[in-house]
Amino acid sequence: MSITTVEPWVEPPLKQFVEDARTVLALLLHPSGQVIAQFGFARAVDVMSACALAAAIHASSGELGRQLEGRPFRGLHHAGRDRQLFLAEAQTQRGSFIVLTVFDQESSLGLVRMYFDEFARRLAAAAPPLVRRTEPVLEQHFERDLNKNLATLFGRA
Amino acid sequence: MSLVNYATREITCKIVYYGPGRSGKTTNLHYIYGQVPDDRKGRMVSLATQTDRTLFFDFLPLDLGTISGFTTKFQLYTVPGQVYYQTTRKLVLQGADGVVFVADSQARQLQENIESYQDLHANLAEQGIDARAVPLVMQYNKQDLPRDLILQPAELSDALNFRGVPEFGADALHGPGVFETLRSISELVLKRLSSPART
Repeated sequence: MSITTVEPWVEPPLKQFVEDARTVLALLLHPSGQVIAQFGFARAVDVMSACALAAAIHASSGELGRQLEGRPFRGLHHAGRDRQLFLAEAQTQRGSFIVLTVFDQESSLGLVRMYFDEFARRLAAAAPPLVRRTEPVLEQHFERDLNKNLATLFGRA
Repeated sequence: MSLVNYATREITCKIVYYGPGRSGKTTNLHYIYGQVPDDRKGRMVSLATQTDRTLFFDFLPLDLGTISGFTTKFQLYTVPGQVYYQTTRKLVLQGADGVVFVADSQARQLQENIESYQDLHANLAEQGIDARAVPLVMQYNKQDLPRDLILQPAELSDALNFRGVPEFGADALHGPGVFETLRSISELVLKRLSSPART
């Protein structure tokens, strides 16, 4: 099983969830649409698109819930012909995270929901405190690389 | 909030194209999409109405390649410009690392530009973000239209660019100014990652 993560502490809980719930695809993302971890996707750019859409669904269903019920909807299920989708939010001391998972006839909504609750608990327990990094990430003179890469992208190299 | 993965040496940044309805935000993304090779871009996602007005957002993931040893990916979003999509704009603006404000250069659109710019500041403030701290680039689009219909970049600058941020005249339909705008916002966003006082 290949899980790609941006933050290593999310890997054990997500791996356990994918195994237990027998999901086909899984995405863990920040509400802004930034990917934190993924399982099952072949291309990074497809992951980014899925994250943008998942964040949008989560945000809009949350807002709809606030307007209709005074509080956000926090779980969403869609049943397709062959695959089903479940979207929900997990809270940690590092803030909220959205989980998008896709499953087929090997699993069921009940199973996914049950293991999602366990996953949310494990994720919250695994979350380390947020540490503010003060050292620069990039070198001061990154512009040369940036200009060269953008020129290549736009066929101006 | 740029995402930095130190293990795989990857950086992901979110750029939002903001501005009034029909100013050319989606056109910017379409132009970029058309220029970039397939292996360096993802599918462009457009959640639009039947008349092609942006309903929720447009989204284009770009792979900028390696910068200072980090694989750098940019996620370009647009917001719907029409006034009644206020809630959606707030949602898309969440977590933005940089903003491109696309103004419509037509003289009759000046008030819409001003209102949209004020709306941007109000939405950032509502999210607890100091608008002065957000990397911002201004683009004065539709400079290809007849001179008697449009305001010149200097006039638009006087009306909108009180922060003195980088600004570019553009014709997003045909390309002039699009690359320069993207280069400038990329540089501002990445500059934050090269400074020690990052939050």
